[in-house]
Amino acid sequence: MAKLILLCLNFMILRSAVEAVFEDQVGKFDCFDTHAQSSKKVLLATESNVFAALNTRTGDLFWRHVDKTGPEGNIDALLQHGQGDFVVTVELTELLVALLKAGNSLNCLCLLDAVLVVGNGRLLRSWEINVGGLNWEIVLDSGSETVDYQAVYSDGNGEVYAMGVVPHSHIAIVVYSVEDGEIIKQVSVEAPWLSNIQTSCTVIGPGMLTCMDPASVSLFMLDLHLESEMTQIPLQTLGLEVTPGFHPVLVSTQPNPAQQPLSEFLLQLGPEQYLLLQLSNGQIVTLRDFKPAMLASFATAGEKTVAAVMSPKNKTACSINLFNAETGRRLLDTTLIYNLDPNGGKPEKLYVQAFLKKDDSVGYRVMVQTEDHALAFLQQPGRVVWTREEALSDVVTMEMVDLPLTGTQAELEGEFGKKADGLMSMVMKRLSSQLILLQAWIAHLWKLFYDARKPRSQVKNEVTIENLSRDEFNLQKMMVMVTAAGKLFGIDSKTGSILWKHYLDNVPSNAAFKLMVQRTTAHFPHPPQCTLLIKDKDTGLATLHVFNPIFGKKSHITPPALPQPILQSLLLPLMDQDYAKVLLLVDDQYKDLSTELIWEVVIPTEVQKIVSIKGKRPNEHVHSQGRVMGDRSVLYKYLNPNLLAVVTESTDLHQERSFIGILLIDGVTGRIIHEAVQRKARGPVHVVHSENWVVYEYWSTKSRRNEFSVIELYEGMELYNSTVFSSLDRPHAPQVLQQSYIFPSSISTMEATLTEKGITSRHLLIGLPSGGILSLPKMFLDPRRPEIVTEQSREENLIPYAPELIIRTEWFINYNQTVSRVRGIYTAPSGLESTCLVVAYGLDIYQTRVYPSKQFDVLKDDYDYMLISSVLFALFFATMISKRLAEVKLLNRAWR
Amino acid sequence: MLNRDRVPPLWLFAQAALVAAAWCFTDMETGPGAGVSTQPNGDRFKIEGRAIVPGIKTQDWVSAARVLVEGEEYVGFLRTDGSFAVNDVPSGSYVVEIITPNYRFEPVRVDITTKGKMRARLVNYIKPSEVIRQPYPLQIRASGPQSYFMKRETWGWTDFLMNPMVMMMVLPLLIIVLLPKVVNTNDPEMRKEIEQSMNMLSPNPELPDVSELVTKFFSGSKGSSKAGGSSKGTRPAVKRR
Repeated sequence: MAKLILLCLNFMILRSAVEAVFEDQVGKFDCFDTHAQSSKKVLLATESNVFAALNTRTGDLFWRHVDKTGPEGNIDALLQHGQGDFVVTVELTELLVALLKAGNSLNCLCLLDAVLVVGNGRLLRSWEINVGGLNWEIVLDSGSETVDYQAVYSDGNGEVYAMGVVPHSHIAIVVYSVEDGEIIKQVSVEAPWLSNIQTSCTVIGPGMLTCMDPASVSLFMLDLHLESEMTQIPLQTLGLEVTPGFHPVLVSTQPNPAQQPLSEFLLQLGPEQYLLLQLSNGQIVTLRDFKPAMLASFATAGEKTVAAVMSPKNKTACSINLFNAETGRRLLDTTLIYNLDPNGGKPEKLYVQAFLKKDDSVGYRVMVQTEDHALAFLQQPGRVVWTREEALSDVVTMEMVDLPLTGTQAELEGEFGKKADGLMSMVMKRLSSQLILLQAWIAHLWKLFYDARKPRSQVKNEVTIENLSRDEFNLQKMMVMVTAAGKLFGIDSKTGSILWKHYLDNVPSNAAFKLMVQRTTAHFPHPPQCTLLIKDKDTGLATLHVFNPIFGKKSHITPPALPQPILQSLLLPLMDQDYAKVLLLVDDQYKDLSTELIWEVVIPTEVQKIVSIKGKRPNEHVHSQGRVMGDRSVLYKYLNPNLLAVVTESTDLHQERSFIGILLIDGVTGRIIHEAVQRKARGPVHVVHSENWVVYEYWSTKSRRNEFSVIELYEGMELYNSTVFSSLDRPHAPQVLQQSYIFPSSISTMEATLTEKGITSRHLLIGLPSGGILSLPKMFLDPRRPEIVTEQSREENLIPYAPELIIRTEWFINYNQTVSRVRGIYTAPSGLESTCLVVAYGLDIYQTRVYPSKQFDVLKDDYDYMLISSVLFALFFATMISKRLAEVKLLNRAWR
Repeated sequence: MLNRDRVPPLWLFAQAALVAAAWCFTDMETGPGAGVSTQPNGDRFKIEGRAIVPGIKTQDWVSAARVLVEGEEYVGFLRTDGSFAVNDVPSGSYVVEIITPNYRFEPVRVDITTKGKMRARLVNYIKPSEVIRQPYPLQIRASGPQSYFMKRETWGWTDFLMNPMVMMMVLPLLIIVLLPKVVNTNDPEMRKEIEQSMNMLSPNPELPDVSELVTKFFSGSKGSSKAGGSSKGTRPAVKRR
């Protein structure tokens, strides 16, 4: 069965300023649209435990609820229960979508509930759809056995049937009252062959629970109201044949929750074959055989129920047609063409929203879900209303790549790159390049002038791949994102628009990804080059995908086939003759290169296990070698580029004996520089290692709180060898300072800001479970913070020690635009020293700039040009006037 | 006709909502009112309470709100009336927070004993054992909207004038301009008097600088008195233009 996830995301990329997040900037940077409340909603329940309502007109989110991760937050089933004359569809599949149509526009304020089964069938929740709030929530009682509640059914008489299964034993049915959630009755029915209700069962006609047993190739039926035994109907008796190795799938429809489901249902017999069947008087009749048919589904408009069937048309398109569900006849003028995206996946699910036209014929819109987790909403005859790239809610790793220079800039660069060939030709080259620049400038001015005449709304500065170029301060970059679905995206960091996408099929579901930038855009005319290593976690077998990060195109370089499991991969700082960094892959055969053990540090695995190893970022610069103390002496930093921070957790998880350890090891010599142990503490540990400091966060089991600890390393008052650092020649052990603090929240992820030259002070960017991204100045995590304030500490600007760090909401860089379930924060330097680019990704993606030391190299955007110019003018006029007055005065005195 | 069609559902819903509300209410009363919340699944309990944002309708904020228990370990959602229940929580001590992007709620620590006895108290991370009781079922009131933004420095004339640097410049200027008007320095008797009083102030004959300074000051003030006098001259100058 194709595994499907539909992740719901609120995809927003916004820019804003931190440190000075002023309210009037909000509108300035936002690209948010508010749409009038529409009655049409798509409800989504996803495998990442998100439940949301989408606007069918625009694809925007009305509201979204994020449950806890893991099986306890899993959404097992969704049921729509509504009052009023509108259509409700219930589909109990892995992706549960109910398209509902709220009748006519007068019924906009229709009142709707949705019932969810959550957490391995533990909880039953009822949602008020328009508000997005909960009606009620109850815990399902399963008695002594563990029943897995997987399906919900209601025929509108005020009863909800929650159906669970004890695998290979029986089906348990609990009947609840819809209004208050009270239990009416409980039954259990023998079904030793059944393991999963969701994949094999459906309710047909007058409450007939129908299940497919692929082993015996037969249907089992149970009347829910009578609760008798299940009756077996082998498919062969119906004259049907199943494609060998295929698990047949049943699809039924319940047009109105106040009535029982239709007696017609669909049966998928093979990857490209569907059958429309009818249950009448206990007999199953075949109405129509659809072959070839990729997807099929039911929809209802008014009293009419139709079946929509998608069949292949040619290589690039599919056609969707409607068929009358009761007769199986094709409806005229209902063809819809769906064009396949060459960079996308195959269609996987089909959801239909049908409505009655004025002439009483059936019109419809469809939502197509593809393998690459994209949703497309189409209307006849094939217009795409909106698309959503849901894969972006599961970004695994990302990189930011500088945009290429424009053609003219590249021309100039080329002039300096080439070897000199005579004075005259150099002069000519210089003149020609100046001419090109002049030409470009005039063209730019002309464009400005031309745009200024047009009304503002018509001026479009759309970013496309063609007009991409680096801006003056390198603030606009290409974000290359790798998603768990195996789809790659290139996103412009300034506008958040997707510039290219590429779906990699044959990515294993448990793949681990590593994205490496082998060549940046700095080596014109060589194109930039990224390499994605995709590794199957179970087998260790890996494949390489080499591509151009700006255009998303696959590189002409054919990566080598990797028949052996890969143990380790590393991007070396060495470059080949084409300026591409060398990628080192170590497999278990050691054929071409042999490795040799240099050092070994034994960490007893029965006591503790290594959780993470953090080195410093290779592109990090440290501007100042030391810190000036209050008495004007210098405390030099211990800046060892080979230092690794190794975090261990104890295997014993008892709260009295658990501990976490941190080892600072020199990667060249294997020497342990420092070792620290935090007793009565446990993970998850979040670590940031940079410059001469390591910051880590852990859970203190003793005091039941989150704590931060910072370690800083100093050489002392004298630098041993100031010209070059060598791990082999450092006789003195560094001085180690450490301090800990209480943090009043748990954290999801942590990263440090990064700037071009490292002059700007550092901030820690902390992703909180509340969805906020906190920008905490590193100044607060300084082991030299004094307990008693002295003259010297005041001179050094040290903040007096306080045990608790405070979360100030002014420090949230994303204000109320929360980023749910932050998975990672990526930081990149920009061309401005004061500015660091930040991307936070989780269910949402948020891009912004932060200024840890304020914008010292740019005029503030609230800079008062008016004031400055008016003061200058006033002074100018004042001097003019006073000069004149002085002349008059002198003249008067001369007359006196 | 449409109206007639629409009335029953609305009415039905109202009834349903009433029933639902009543159910929530009774449940809350029977549950932990006595301090014990018993649940079918033995060692798992339910944290209950209500969140209020004063002056704001619950419908307007509950859809963006969540109840987080100890980070994201347990998650609950708010009902349309602002009440909430987090199910399936084992005994222990937890920090319960209401998370919404627009309103600020104070966290509360909830302790659950192995028998299901509940109590709520203020969160104090520095002294975790300190107990300041809070009501249970929880009553959490928003302490106001979240303030994400700093106040921009606005520029006004008063700010400019009250600036100490400006005051330091303006006051001497005023003295320079006004003093010669008050005291007629052209009168030689007056000048003598001032010089004498200045000499009295600095009786040390080895420091004649002060008197010199004074004379310098006044000779300078002559120039400025011209400038001061120029204000008279302004009017005719303007008129002439």
